[in-house]
Amino acid sequence: MIDVAGLRVVLPPATVALDGVDLEIGAGEFVVILGRSGAGKTTFLRALNRLVEPTAGRVTIAGHAVTGAAAAELRVVRRHIGMVFQQFNLVRRASVLDNVLAGRLGYVAPLPSLLGRFPEPDRRLALECLEQVGLAHLAGRRADTLSGGEQQRAAIARALAQEPDVILADEPTASLDPGLASSIMDILRRINVDRGLTLVVSQHQLETALAYASRVIGFRRGRVVFDGPPSAVTPAVANALYADAPAA
Amino acid sequence: MRRAAVFVAVVTLAWVAWDTGADPVRFIRGLPWMFDFLRRMLPPDLRVLPQALAGALATVEIALLGTAVAAVLALPLGFLSARNVVPPGVFYPARTVLNFFRSVDTLVYALIFVAAVGLGPFPGVLAVIAYTTTSLAKLYSETIEGIDPGPVDAVMATGATRLQVLRFGVLPQVLPLFLSYVLYRLESNIRAATVLGFVGAGGIGFYLQTYLRLIDYPAASTVLLVTVAMVMVVDGLSSRLRDRLV
Repeated sequence: MIDVAGLRVVLPPATVALDGVDLEIGAGEFVVILGRSGAGKTTFLRALNRLVEPTAGRVTIAGHAVTGAAAAELRVVRRHIGMVFQQFNLVRRASVLDNVLAGRLGYVAPLPSLLGRFPEPDRRLALECLEQVGLAHLAGRRADTLSGGEQQRAAIARALAQEPDVILADEPTASLDPGLASSIMDILRRINVDRGLTLVVSQHQLETALAYASRVIGFRRGRVVFDGPPSAVTPAVANALYADAPAA
Repeated sequence: MRRAAVFVAVVTLAWVAWDTGADPVRFIRGLPWMFDFLRRMLPPDLRVLPQALAGALATVEIALLGTAVAAVLALPLGFLSARNVVPPGVFYPARTVLNFFRSVDTLVYALIFVAAVGLGPFPGVLAVIAYTTTSLAKLYSETIEGIDPGPVDAVMATGATRLQVLRFGVLPQVLPLFLSYVLYRLESNIRAATVLGFVGAGGIGFYLQTYLRLIDYPAASTVLLVTVAMVMVVDGLSSRLRDRLV
């Protein structure tokens, strides 16, 4: 489903954020990415849909080439890739439903959408997605009146509205109370199981990662240093991932 | 360093005071004439109230139409001069053009447009448009540069086009602020439009200037009072609307 080869990202002026990543992620996997902050987790996820431009390497998702795609092709690929952010990234002043409808932008006719008009089936779909995250009753509310957990659920609904093959989630629970973290992860797991979607989720919380992942990938200094099932994450592995001392 | 700065400032201001002929003694000697002027304005001649009100209405109309047209014209200009929307090759020329046109005041534009299209409120409207478009565009672009990039990323990630990203990621963040700037410009434009009549560009200023020239001070004072009332009413309404927006 996701094919990454030789992925390298150098952020200006000269920070090597990803230093040659090769990965193959199959359909239906629930991948959790572990690593310290600065290990390259966020850059990796953002390079997958080219919110960050890769310096070198190749990314293919659901059979579409992401790297090298022209603007129009890139938009087609992106609509198959939902993304969930640490800070939710909802438009605060817009209604919850309008935020979810943004997930349909890759599908609807551009001109009416610019006037704020969406076809009835798209509206229905957006409402269904809100229902799935338990927020249908808040559809008309302004996004910034929701609690943090509700905002993240709305953001997940926006990703679902894209009818994606893959959902990328960048530290989706890091801005939430610990109690809410599991409820968000539960929703992501349900999406993974019920819809068979491929999930790639970055987490700094080891226990949460191990509880939900079908596969754990450890990043350190822009490289993959661990790749295996959660059962293989021994304390030694965890220590190596989070150790302060730079790898010699 | 600090002392030197204070010294330079004091010397500059002293020289400027001398060069402009600023003289407290002259001012105090002039005070009786000001009181005389005020005394001759009283009581206001209310017979000219209908003309004053008609002039006030024209002034409000000039400011309203000019501000409304400018608010729309400034939209594309604002986006074209926002650093985070367009490449530097577009940004720098756009900003330069804005700064160039913004450095000329509404009244100067009025002189130009009166020469071009003749007397009356219409050149006044054009003058308001000319100045307000560029000043709003500057405010718009600075607002756009200050937005939260998060929602923009999120909308971009859905596969939206550039225009859709602007419409759904940027516009909802900036529109309430834009409206509040437009109302603020409307308030200043009402004040600016009160003097447009001095150069023949319509509105209440025409009556003020006429009565002053005719040395009909009681009539002029009626016009002044109507002007003050008009500005206060519009300011009050507009600031109440603005409070609701932000």
